[in-house]
Amino acid sequence: MNLKKPFAFLKRDFLINSSYKTSFLFQFGSIVFAILTFFFISRLFGEKASGYLTDYGGEYFPFVLIGIAFYGYLTTAMTGFTQAIQEEQALGTLEAILLSPTKISTVLISGTLWSFLITSFNIFLYFLLGALFFNFPIGKMNIPAAIIILILTIVSFSSLGIISASFILILKRGDPINWLFSGISRFLGGVYFPISILPVWVQKVSLLLPITYSLHGMRMAILMGSSIGDIWQDIFALILFSVIFLPFSILCFKFAVRKAKKAGSLIYY
Amino acid sequence: MIKINCVTKRFFLRKTLSELICHPLRKKRSVLALDSVSLKVEKGKICALLGPNGAGKTTLIKILSTLILPDSGQINICGYDLKTHPEQARSKIGLVTGEERSLYWRLSGRQNLEFFGAMYNLSRRKIRERVSSLNDILEIDDLDKPFENYSTGMKQRVALARCLMSEPELIFMDEPTKSLDPGSAHKFRIFIKETLVNKLGKTVFFTTHQTEEAGELADQIAIIAKGKIKASGRINEIKQKFGLAQEIPLKELYLKIVA
Repeated sequence: MNLKKPFAFLKRDFLINSSYKTSFLFQFGSIVFAILTFFFISRLFGEKASGYLTDYGGEYFPFVLIGIAFYGYLTTAMTGFTQAIQEEQALGTLEAILLSPTKISTVLISGTLWSFLITSFNIFLYFLLGALFFNFPIGKMNIPAAIIILILTIVSFSSLGIISASFILILKRGDPINWLFSGISRFLGGVYFPISILPVWVQKVSLLLPITYSLHGMRMAILMGSSIGDIWQDIFALILFSVIFLPFSILCFKFAVRKAKKAGSLIYY
Repeated sequence: MIKINCVTKRFFLRKTLSELICHPLRKKRSVLALDSVSLKVEKGKICALLGPNGAGKTTLIKILSTLILPDSGQINICGYDLKTHPEQARSKIGLVTGEERSLYWRLSGRQNLEFFGAMYNLSRRKIRERVSSLNDILEIDDLDKPFENYSTGMKQRVALARCLMSEPELIFMDEPTKSLDPGSAHKFRIFIKETLVNKLGKTVFFTTHQTEEAGELADQIAIIAKGKIKASGRINEIKQKFGLAQEIPLKELYLKIVA
């Protein structure tokens, strides 16, 4: 596999992002405020919430920290792919890249690597600060199970992001996939509260979202030390999402590129 | 080098809000951007596509660059059919536009060229060599300066250097001197003719609406209006065809044909 192009994109994005020094540094500062906010929310009604959280160790703060950290991956997937295309269109560089032997799928995937890298670094910071200052328990973590869930999370969320980017190529703004999945996932996927507190019929809807399995599997692997065998249902569901949505997303994207080339709107935003 | 045969392109216009509400079932309005365009350009020549605004010049150059798909017609570039072998054809071409926004403004000239070199699968050593030789040929002021700090003329040189990184045989230029002052535009034209074509043996196909530019540079011209090629060939041949004396300026010929 030729890694020259993904590396060139990473280098380019690092150089561009680090040239905006203040914004580059401030993005990490916001993590501290997010941790503090949820730490004190957890102190406010932590004991009352613990009854709903027995499956995850009973503490609200570690539960929500994993929720907000991994919701970042969904946000990155849903916005990162569309941004990768839109930024090249806005900068006027998409034409020049597409004239080179570089496929638009390479632009799409390589152009998102930086966002995924920063999101991963943010998650690392969430956990590091949480562990150092707020008793976030990482001692029990089952690393292989967490890594498998992490990879499947990125793949299944990316499929949705690529479908979202396909809409953007045609509609230019306001893609329905991002609106639908980001909003519903935040509400029903168990980011801020366990889905067990929702009415039963709503819980059934949440089973249709990959984030539900991603967060459940990750919380079990990190907080309870669950092994791959213990969380096989989450792993299986995420594999199923990936197997169905990844080929579908690639087909959608190819269709969108062809349609945009026919309409002459590939480089417009 | 370029063979265009009966290329047609129609664009459908977006419906306005009132059209969507009042006539939701009515078909979209359309514009015929190119109407059975046929043209040939030989290797090592400079061809100017001359026409007024909205004539279809940019549409044609984008179709030739594989960025827009035509509705019908055949195009052959350097021996490759654009429909069946777009990737092979693309490997032979480079594109320079008159737009300043076609490179990364926060990166330096060198970083831009290195990035695009990687897009062309060039090795690090090859990238270094080409950047250095293009810097010598194009005389770019300080390649390590952020792109945003270059003058417009220098930005155009970096854009040309980016195009030449892949050593294309055929170079498309879409109104390349659009944002340049008369002095810089003149220097740029001399560079195209003397260095790119005479010295490096490239074929250049460029669009313009300036008759002086077409007359100064081109071996052959094609005059396009409302999506149709009205005349093509050597300037003296076209004058003869339209029954005009050879001393008549190109501008007059152009106005007669376009009108």
